[in-house]
Amino acid sequence: MSDKPFFVGYLPAPGGLRGCLVLAGALLMLGMAAAGFALGVAQDDPGEGAFRFDYGRQTVTGVVELTPYPLIHVTEGNDRIKAGETFMMSAGGKSGVDGRAAPLAGQVAQVSGVMLERGDLYMLQLRGGRNGIRAAEGSGAVPEPQDLGRWRLAGEICDGKCLSGAMRPGRGLAHKACANLCLLGDVPPVFVSTQPVEGSEFLLITGPDGTALPEAAYDYVAQYVTVEGQVRRHGSLLVFAMDPDTLALAP
Amino acid sequence: MSIAPSLIFFLQVWGGVGAGVALLFLAWGIDRIDEDARGAYVFRVLIIPGILLIWPLVLWRWWQLEAQSGRWLARYQPVRRAHGLAALAMSVAIALIVFFGLSARQDWPADIAPVRVETGS
Repeated sequence: MSDKPFFVGYLPAPGGLRGCLVLAGALLMLGMAAAGFALGVAQDDPGEGAFRFDYGRQTVTGVVELTPYPLIHVTEGNDRIKAGETFMMSAGGKSGVDGRAAPLAGQVAQVSGVMLERGDLYMLQLRGGRNGIRAAEGSGAVPEPQDLGRWRLAGEICDGKCLSGAMRPGRGLAHKACANLCLLGDVPPVFVSTQPVEGSEFLLITGPDGTALPEAAYDYVAQYVTVEGQVRRHGSLLVFAMDPDTLALAP
Repeated sequence: MSIAPSLIFFLQVWGGVGAGVALLFLAWGIDRIDEDARGAYVFRVLIIPGILLIWPLVLWRWWQLEAQSGRWLARYQPVRRAHGLAALAMSVAIALIVFFGLSARQDWPADIAPVRVETGS
């Protein structure tokens, strides 16, 4: 029978193996701690975007516009959301509110939900069914879009909900699959520009001529790209109608 | 169809076939190949997610056991040398994937400023 020491978990460690076990244990712990630290410091700062449950439920009234992604041009605001502002909406989970908003296009509607906020960008996640959006009394019209010309932009195509704070991080390659699922669910896409365009670094992005985000764009989501398109101001929000033929990875 | 909808479609088809296999296997097949499972039903619900994922393997093992073509002794052999090589290759592959993934990562093109190509109407 061999005299080599043999480790059994429920018995005291053999003398000849103790040093090796202590060394291996210490190296394993230090290695794991170092790997965790290295992975942590290599990550980008996820920013301050978040669900603002602390603001409470937000209920405002405004005019619905389809870009085709639905927007609300606020006519009667509250403490947080002022009249004259324009914002995007989503439903719970990875879903948009196109189906609920489409019958109200051009009409005054009351919307209610919880805010997601990242800096100047915010969105409302609506409550379910008619509690989230319904026709309301009042008057108002969709403001005439202001054509700001054709622009060449660099930045990233994201889903507006996660970017606004539903996920942390809500952008970048690690978030690509989630972003694509959100976009397939009709969550409004948002372009994050490297530098502000007419005062805003976040633009709602659509396809050309009032179409939804082109299929070609899905392969570029979460990567840094350059793209050309028409920029229009819809209320207080910029809408970027991208030209898919100009989409390319940023150098 | 771009890559993202294609992936979703593939997963839907994979899961749909897996659900069919799970129904067939748990309602009928498992009683034929595992006598210990006969009369036991609650655990079958627990293995549905696994069958959805690896249904080709389930079908293959089911067929092996039905046809008694599997080498049952092989299941009790110690880890073979090929497994060690595979483990080593996977470890190296993971390290290489992380390395090349980080190498291919783009830098935020902060120096590319927005340019107005044409003025608005």
